[in-house]
Amino acid sequence: MTLQLAKPRFLLCGAIVYLVCVAMCNAQTDTDFDKATTEFRAGNYGAAAALFARAESSSPGKTAALLYQAKSLVHLQNFTEAEAALRRYILSHPDSDDALYLLGFVLHRENHPAESLEIYTKAAAIKTPTGDDLKVVGANYVLLGDYPDAIKWLETAVRIDPQNKDAWYFLGRAYYSRGVLPEARRAFAKVLEFDPHNSKAENNLGLILESEAKPGEAMDTYRKSIAWQKQDSRPSEQPYLNLGNLLIQENRMEEAIPLLEKAVQLAPGDGPCHLKLGAAYLRTNRMKEAQRELEEATRLAPENAPAHFQLGRLYKQIHSLDRAQEEFNRVEEIHSRTANTRPQTQ
Amino acid sequence: MGAGVALFDYDNDGRLDIFLVNGAPLGDPTPKGTIPQKTGPEYWNRLYHQKPDGSFEDVTERAGLQGVGYGMGVAVGDYDNDGFEDLYVTAYGGNRLYHNNGNGTFTDVTLTAGVAGSGWSTAAAWVDLDGDGFLDLVVLRYMDWDFDDLWCGEHKEGYRAYCHPDHFKPISPLVYHNNKNGTFTEIGEKAGLSKPAKGLGLAIADYDRDGHIDFFVANDSMMEFLYHNKGDGTFEDVALVSEVAVDIDGRTYAGMGVDFADYNNDGWADLVVTDLANQRYALYLNNGDGSFNYVSPNAGLAQMTLAHSGWGVRFLDYDNDGWKDLLIAQGHDLDTIELNSPHLHYREPMLLARNTGRGFVDVSAQSGSVFSQTWVARGMAIGDLDNDGRLDAVVTTNDGPVHVLHNQTQTQNHWLLLRLVGHSSNRDAIGAEVELVTAAGSQFATVSTASSYLSASDKRVHFGLGKESSIQRIEIRWPSGILQTIKDVRADQILQIDEPAGVPSSRKP
Repeated sequence: MTLQLAKPRFLLCGAIVYLVCVAMCNAQTDTDFDKATTEFRAGNYGAAAALFARAESSSPGKTAALLYQAKSLVHLQNFTEAEAALRRYILSHPDSDDALYLLGFVLHRENHPAESLEIYTKAAAIKTPTGDDLKVVGANYVLLGDYPDAIKWLETAVRIDPQNKDAWYFLGRAYYSRGVLPEARRAFAKVLEFDPHNSKAENNLGLILESEAKPGEAMDTYRKSIAWQKQDSRPSEQPYLNLGNLLIQENRMEEAIPLLEKAVQLAPGDGPCHLKLGAAYLRTNRMKEAQRELEEATRLAPENAPAHFQLGRLYKQIHSLDRAQEEFNRVEEIHSRTANTRPQTQ
Repeated sequence: MGAGVALFDYDNDGRLDIFLVNGAPLGDPTPKGTIPQKTGPEYWNRLYHQKPDGSFEDVTERAGLQGVGYGMGVAVGDYDNDGFEDLYVTAYGGNRLYHNNGNGTFTDVTLTAGVAGSGWSTAAAWVDLDGDGFLDLVVLRYMDWDFDDLWCGEHKEGYRAYCHPDHFKPISPLVYHNNKNGTFTEIGEKAGLSKPAKGLGLAIADYDRDGHIDFFVANDSMMEFLYHNKGDGTFEDVALVSEVAVDIDGRTYAGMGVDFADYNNDGWADLVVTDLANQRYALYLNNGDGSFNYVSPNAGLAQMTLAHSGWGVRFLDYDNDGWKDLLIAQGHDLDTIELNSPHLHYREPMLLARNTGRGFVDVSAQSGSVFSQTWVARGMAIGDLDNDGRLDAVVTTNDGPVHVLHNQTQTQNHWLLLRLVGHSSNRDAIGAEVELVTAAGSQFATVSTASSYLSASDKRVHFGLGKESSIQRIEIRWPSGILQTIKDVRADQILQIDEPAGVPSSRKP
């Protein structure tokens, strides 16, 4: 098997045109399929998905409609239905590397890294993975906390596809999580080389500077990251959270709190954001707001011992001692349950 | 892990001597179940006797203190109240109690005393837990560990690293009650002190001033413990509710060394705990209501220690200005750390942080060339080696020499060194609380040989007095409960105070 330096298969029109041609060569003259293909090529994925579904139901198994329905659904980020379509397609096309790789990607996006890796393994047995595939494989290992394997596959991904900025980003994250700061910095610098205003990479450089005990430089970096994502339609809460956290550590609460409020606004379902904001309110004696945020933090992240600890401190300060004790007991219980859970080898 | 050091006067000649704990050779690989043994003089523990001219002589063999096994820590205390300091040496695979015969020799009485213990022992402290006038013994253990061939760190040549403590289970400490007849009984469970720990540091103080000595356990990468003495011979861990179990963010850290002393002169014992780089050493200010505030950022210690890893630590007034400063032995735990984190260092200089009365300031760079040398420093003991009123330090290093830091601070500030001798209380007066009052205000101290990391310091109590050349009042609460007041004391002397006969008071205010 030779290694093919293919472009990412999900986004490239070339591949689509090729597959459409294949479909046409197979004399798939079904009207719905033709219409669906036209809609797909025009980027009307909702219409395409519906038409591919209809094509499949009128001629079950006769065309690649299920595969294309899944592709349309992936474009729509409807991963649940995409998975269902792919699984049906694979039942009749078990050797379709295209479907298997796409299913691996879908499972990754559904946060099922172990299942995703299984599927990628099957796909790789049929066709050599691309750099983009290996990027997802590496990202799966990141999700599983297996950083050595993540680094192995992501290094391979960037070797195959040196301009794959997402692979560089994940590689940076893996190195950072592993505490290998020079390599992490190199990876994020690569991302910034290809995308000079990549706010996520800049935010991660801030984390590295923080780890290097350079809080001033880290703050500048977080500020830059925030500025760069101003125009983003979906800005990240992370640089706000990180900058706010650093300011708290320097007792600059008045500066920290608005940033943490922004982080909560951007990520209302994120426990750690509520925790940081609640802790900042607590340190400035804004007890009602602190209580609201810390209770939300423990609701969103019930296994987060620091959140229970801060809530216990708050209850203690407002003389709700029974509730304080309950929270401290919860901290104790979480710590005793999660202690010594590292594997016997790293 | 490094090893401990003790500063104590074993022959009562008025000069501090030095005892150094040493390890033993390890094979690679070492079979599971191995108890390493010393194979020659290069692995012996060492006792150095201080001669009148301030130099030291090695009297290890004469004293019979060569030791066995892979030594870790040392605790000093006169457990039989005979007037001579005894030694307890912790180790991996069994500890040793050496009785001081009073003639320059020691006898290994471990088996008779019943204090051998097992597992991987670390810090130990002599303290009278039940107020019966005899010192009991608290021995921490690090973890449930054996020579399993685990691989931690990256699978690359030269990158193998020590495993994180999370790989191992915690283990209960050992607590030995002194039966007053040369034997001890293990009472950890009965005393409520059997909570599994990963203990490395141990310090004592009556933090809530209820008349009963409490103690703090610095645990590695799990919650810290604060054992409150309930006064009935039992203890309970109140670290969480007292807010000293974790840092201000609620996170655990790699607690290693600890000291428990009143650094802001408000009468309440505060805590400092050393840990690893990126964690910041923890400074907890005692609020006087049973709780503490984490004040590392406010006091300047967080910024100062962010990139450092600390082990031995003591509050000490090095410049005799009346404020207890901090001296800290440093060096990262991983000898591979610079491969992945070039900004962190296995070898680090010592840290001297001066207490200005409003916070701590790093004065290492202005305090002599010794603070620019980089060591893999671990154990540290404090004491006035030359009896000049300025506190000195002895620091151990991994695979390196021991360092004696002679305090040559130029100052006209006054001082006082108190040598307390218990009679109803334990003879070392360990656990006695001293309040010293001058025109400038009050200072407080607890008599202890424990604290720091695996080490034992001079039991004498040191006070810097600043410009004050006389002390208005010294008040001592002896472990027996007896209160003693001494008035109008001249500064700049070593003063012995004997415990008077008397009736124990009820709890002081």
